Amino acid sequence: MSAYMTGIIIILCLNIIIAYSVFLPAAAGQLNLGAAGFMIIGAYTDAYLSSADEGLGLPIALTIPVAALFTGLVGFLMSFPILRTRGVYMILATFAFAEIVAGIVLNMEIVGGASGFPVTTHTELEVLLPVTVVVVLFGFYLISTRFGLSMRSIHDDENVSLLFGVNTHLVKVGAFTIGAFLGGLAGALYGHQFDYIEVQNWGILFSIYVLLYVLIGGTQTPWGPLVGAMFFTFIPEILRAIGDATGIELFTELRFAAFGVIIVGMMVLRPEGIMTRTFLELLFRKSIPKSNIKLS
Amino acid sequence: MLILQQLVNGLMLGSVYVMVAVAFTLTIGMLNFLNFTIPALFMVAAMITWAATAAGFHWLVAAAFGMIVAILASLVIERFTYRYMKAKYGDATEHALPLVSSLGFLIIFEHVVIMIWGTDPMTFNSPFAHAKFEISGIIFGIPQLISLALSIILVFGLSLLLKKTQLGRALRSIAEKPDTATLMGVDVGKIVPVVFVMTGFLCALAGILFTVNYQHVSPYIGDHVATNAIAGMVIGGLGNIWGAIAGGLLIGMVEVLSIHFWGADIIKVPVWSLMLIILVFRPAGLFGHTQIGKGKF
Amino acid sequence: MSNVLNLTSVEKSFGGLKVIDNVSFNVKKGSRTALIGPNGAGKTTIFNLLSGIYEVDSGNISLDNNDITQIPARKRINIGMSRSFQNIRLMPHLSTIENVMLGQHHLANSARENFFPLGLIKTNKWAKLAEQSLIEAGLDTYPGQVVSELPYGVQKRIEVVRALVSNPKLLLLDEPAAGLNSTETKELQILLEKASSSGTTLLVVEHDMNFVRNLCQHVVVLNFGRKIFEGTPDEVSRDPQVLEAYLGGNDNNAS
Repeated sequence: MSAYMTGIIIILCLNIIIAYSVFLPAAAGQLNLGAAGFMIIGAYTDAYLSSADEGLGLPIALTIPVAALFTGLVGFLMSFPILRTRGVYMILATFAFAEIVAGIVLNMEIVGGASGFPVTTHTELEVLLPVTVVVVLFGFYLISTRFGLSMRSIHDDENVSLLFGVNTHLVKVGAFTIGAFLGGLAGALYGHQFDYIEVQNWGILFSIYVLLYVLIGGTQTPWGPLVGAMFFTFIPEILRAIGDATGIELFTELRFAAFGVIIVGMMVLRPEGIMTRTFLELLFRKSIPKSNIKLS
Repeated sequence: MLILQQLVNGLMLGSVYVMVAVAFTLTIGMLNFLNFTIPALFMVAAMITWAATAAGFHWLVAAAFGMIVAILASLVIERFTYRYMKAKYGDATEHALPLVSSLGFLIIFEHVVIMIWGTDPMTFNSPFAHAKFEISGIIFGIPQLISLALSIILVFGLSLLLKKTQLGRALRSIAEKPDTATLMGVDVGKIVPVVFVMTGFLCALAGILFTVNYQHVSPYIGDHVATNAIAGMVIGGLGNIWGAIAGGLLIGMVEVLSIHFWGADIIKVPVWSLMLIILVFRPAGLFGHTQIGKGKF
Repeated sequence: MSNVLNLTSVEKSFGGLKVIDNVSFNVKKGSRTALIGPNGAGKTTIFNLLSGIYEVDSGNISLDNNDITQIPARKRINIGMSRSFQNIRLMPHLSTIENVMLGQHHLANSARENFFPLGLIKTNKWAKLAEQSLIEAGLDTYPGQVVSELPYGVQKRIEVVRALVSNPKLLLLDEPAAGLNSTETKELQILLEKASSSGTTLLVVEHDMNFVRNLCQHVVVLNFGRKIFEGTPDEVSRDPQVLEAYLGGNDNNAS
């Protein structure tokens, strides 16, 4: 495999994991613009625990899960204040959370502050790829359970879910916490791929992109974040390839702007995301509905 | 004396935040829409003013270009975010769609600007670089003073407009209850673009004044300003115009003072912690005014 | 026959306006009771008080002789109360069968059931149960279909099935026949009679008096938040006070 392909697959895997991190609360109707915050906590916890020079030098088989669990714990604790907010307030609250995390790390000299922190244990795809597969399978599994059903019910109608006995608060806390865990996991894995982490990589733009992966992919099914992350990883590369192949510089230069156009266009054409329930039915439909439905 | 100087500087910077914060608070209050194209409009107006000046136009002509482009862009954005969703789904706030579309526009504008002018910060040769005066050792930059005055006058005018005029009543009725507004004969389709024109105007003015005052532009200036403006808006309470003024000025002063005393990074933590606490426990903002609009997504 | 539901002097105000004023009535176990009244009489408010969406200001509500006034909305399904809504409140992005499975939620609310992959192992008992109740209701359409795409009448009946699968003692139905054509109304009536014959008590808010007369044995009439009459459907349609309320109510609406 060429280095270029490996590079794209690494980015794709990380994008997929962080997409599931934001997808889980989104599937329960909670928009999270704080992906960067979880990513930073996971990355720095893991880096500090595993780095041989400036950290504790622990093995990554230990540090990656610990970093993810720690991020999950932070997510769990933060979910109580954050889930008191709704809609635009929740978007701003999660954004504020990410800014706070970035601010704290920038001022922590023990992890290098603004100058970043080196990660000494390098891994290739042998760790990242299987973990990504497990995360995707886990996403599909979780959505298929009654817990997942409760999440999707809350997304559609929180009050009615409550009347049917769903502990809506617990479900939202659960989805947010598991999301935080996955965000921390993505952060921890990132360090071991790129050998260096710095907070500046994870600003508001990062959180925006991750939210876009999920909303463009679709929040109704676990296919959404997978397709959304692929879409966002491949489209710029495809545009670049077209530019290279045709020799038209404009394609290469325009690719990110074109990307914005595609997002606006997607919202016009597929406002509920690429992968909707009805779309999946079209793809996988096994039987034709029996027609004892009388059209009124 | 030094602190006083910093306070003055903070007030000047804050006046830029005020205009952007009011733009945010207007769209949230009226339309329940967190408009992420605001940083792009700010930046586009600033970049065009710089580019036109660099191309030899008088800076006033250049500023007019920037203003016109930003307002036109804002109208295009209205069509593809709010108007389209409204037409298709009845209630644009039902879905996260306008938000996503506005993020799409943010990406478009930033990258088109990068494509044309690159990512490097550019210096703007301000015609007023040396226009300043001193009162007992405190330096007042004249353009800064003008922008402070402008922003206060503008926002004062805006709130008068909302209170006293027919247009203002129509706008407020949309903010309260869009359906009832339609029944009462308010043409929502004609009024909503007005909000977007205002947004474009405020952002462009802020962008132009920022360029003139601080004499540099880059494709990323909008992000920092918008982030602080959002903080100002939250402090003042979402949908509260006077709150946005106070919040914007406060954030400007806190930023300048903290950079002076502690450096830029440390202040992030207390400011955003305060933000989070306000959002969670006191969503109406610090001043407790009643908000316009329903303020929910 | 004992009562399954007792309302004793229930009152509720919104912003100083008394919407429910000293309302008391009982619903007999196994009965089919209707709650009628002109628009704005407070019928849906009564339902919202019963299901715990609103708290009563004073008075109390008891189910099977246990005071439930203080029980939160989420727990009321556990003690045997389930409802449908005036405007369809199905989950639009869930399939028919998933909507029905939501109705089973309180029966399957253990950690083990919550994390069993229902959607991956399609032959689980909950799916079978849900499918069975759909077949019984004559709704054996494609169960995987997303409900927002189904016709109005079908959605309306799925809502009743969703409420029924929670095995309620008392089923609250808020205008179940509104917007249905005559065939669909007939089918709904059969479904409700079937539920009733298996022991579920029905309390129905309905405008369609024909439907009420065909289904219910007992009628409670509300007007302006007060109970003005109680009796059999025939008695109700003869009562001058009720006729007055309906005509008077219309006059008020017009003015």
